[in-house]
Amino acid sequence: MNDLVVKDLTVEYSSGGLLVRPLVKKSLTAEDGQLVVLLGPSGCGKTTLLSCLAGLLTPTRGSIRLGGREITRLQGEALTDYRRNQVGVVFQAFNLLPSLTAHGNVVAPMALAGARRSVASARATELLEQVGLGDRMNHRPGAMSGGQQQRVAIARALVHNPPLVLADEPTAHLDHVQVEGVLKLIRSLAQPGRIVVVATHDDRVTNLADIVIELVPSHAGVDREPEDVELTDGEVLFRQGDPGELVYVVKSGGVAIYQELFDGGERHIDVLKEGRYFGELAPLLRLPRSASARAAGDTVVTAYTLRRFRNAFPGSAMQAPGLNGAPHEDG
Amino acid sequence: MLAITIADLRFRARQFLIAVVGAGTVFAIALLLAGMVNSFYAEIDRTVASADADGWVVPEGTSGPFTSIGGMPQSTVGAIAKTAGVTAASGMVISLQSPDRGALGLERIMMIGADPKGFGQVVPDEGEPVRKNNEAVADRRLDLDIGDTFVLGGRTFHVVGLVEGMTMLGGTANAWLSLKAAQGVLFGGEPIVTSILVKGDPEQLPPTLKLMSNEEVAVDSLKPMKDAVDSVNNSKYLMWVVAAIIVAALIYVSALQRTRDFAVLKAVGASSRALFVGVALQSVIVTALGALLAISCAWMLKPAYPVPVEVTQAAYVSLPLIAIGVGILSSLVALRRAVNVDPAIAFGAGQ
Repeated sequence: MNDLVVKDLTVEYSSGGLLVRPLVKKSLTAEDGQLVVLLGPSGCGKTTLLSCLAGLLTPTRGSIRLGGREITRLQGEALTDYRRNQVGVVFQAFNLLPSLTAHGNVVAPMALAGARRSVASARATELLEQVGLGDRMNHRPGAMSGGQQQRVAIARALVHNPPLVLADEPTAHLDHVQVEGVLKLIRSLAQPGRIVVVATHDDRVTNLADIVIELVPSHAGVDREPEDVELTDGEVLFRQGDPGELVYVVKSGGVAIYQELFDGGERHIDVLKEGRYFGELAPLLRLPRSASARAAGDTVVTAYTLRRFRNAFPGSAMQAPGLNGAPHEDG
Repeated sequence: MLAITIADLRFRARQFLIAVVGAGTVFAIALLLAGMVNSFYAEIDRTVASADADGWVVPEGTSGPFTSIGGMPQSTVGAIAKTAGVTAASGMVISLQSPDRGALGLERIMMIGADPKGFGQVVPDEGEPVRKNNEAVADRRLDLDIGDTFVLGGRTFHVVGLVEGMTMLGGTANAWLSLKAAQGVLFGGEPIVTSILVKGDPEQLPPTLKLMSNEEVAVDSLKPMKDAVDSVNNSKYLMWVVAAIIVAALIYVSALQRTRDFAVLKAVGASSRALFVGVALQSVIVTALGALLAISCAWMLKPAYPVPVEVTQAAYVSLPLIAIGVGILSSLVALRRAVNVDPAIAFGAGQ
């Protein structure tokens, strides 16, 4: 079976010395012929996940298996072969080569793979006709609309008839007329022998999907009673890069807010005492935590959902983030 | 990769054209400088060879027949001719002079006086050789035709023959006179010679004289210009470097502009080697076109130089080869960018 199985995928890198974890233990499974939509706002790790699936980025931990074959351990020629033949990518900004015609752009991957020119040319012609660009083959990208360029990019991704097609924000640069055509085309690609993974923040795309994976689950509608969390001295409440669901208020003791550095060190930010709240921006903006929190001495914090926090603290930064001097350590 | 490379060249044609013109102009200057250096050597070799001698006898203490004047009694010529190993000897008077060409004014020449009946006289390309004491054979750079006259040492000389490329000191025209006439100009008619040409290999010479081979004479004749020749020669190498910098700058800027293209190509399966070959190919095409432009430019610019410029066939043939070398070298600056580009950049996020 041509299944795609992603397990506990974690990506970490350094940004200005800080440890950034755009993906933390992400898992997904897709069966042959399915259209998977990765949904989430900018910065939630969609592109990072696509890069890993495309074999362009090696994850820090975790596994990606396509048709039973482990992808994360591929190197050298095997990796190049995977990129050439097993995966087709439709990039966000089309990323066509401006110097080549539509036909030339589709021929390029085959030529690079050593295909005979006549074979590559015939295949490119066939694919461009398939995506409705039979009459635009000799136009350069600069002379084509966004929708047409996206179609060329799709044709290019299909040249080797890969079992995995990835599309990054395929509707981002298109007007509504073009969106319709491109989405229909993408939907038609998901068929036996091929899995299509689309990363988008456009929730209209979810209607076409077989599977929708929200990379940052929305907690806005979640509601439950506030609950106390007891922490022993040094115990970590959450880590930088973790998804953020709750807002915390220090009930007793103290909480140290710090940033984790890529080299293993830490950068101290603040120690919050009784009555101070923290962790509000991550659930509010649906971003991962941008700092870590741990108990400074034996501590009790109260965990609130967004709704409960708003009700309990009507004058807080939740209403006007950043205006009341409260620590905004995890925006 | 070739098709992608060519397409990119066409796409950025204006940018590459500027580099071709820049590199071509610099290559042309390098070619002309090479021709200039070559002419400094070639004019000496031709002048020395025109004497048709095996060796040159000059007074001990003088540097060479063309670079210093040391007089010897003309009777020495006969004595040398009788020395064992010598089959023939001929006296010469050589010195720098400035004849008056009338309306054309004064011009510096290398006066070479030799016995019209002996050897050492040049065979003219046009006209007749020197037979009389008021006749001269001159290089065309003196701007005189057959039948024209010039005044030297108060004597009037008629040009009876012309030669081409017979100069010294970087374009100073040679003028051959009879030995007697040259003695009249330089020594007031005294029977003195400044050097003696010999055929054969003298077994022994008087201690006051020394024998110089044609090669030694050539080396010595270049000495007054050595610093200038070395400077020109070094400038030629500098021109190669300038051309390399021009092309390298273009290729580097082009590589910067194409970072995303490289990332996309890598993402769709291009190897790092293929990307570098593409960059190197562009660089080589630019320099090769520059070399072709340089060859035609050199032809046009040659007459603008007051000194002789003799670009050899070898220089014309080697220029494209050097240009290819320069192109490959230049492309190395973009090597890291092409090879190390992160294919994830194609996604736009770069992470």
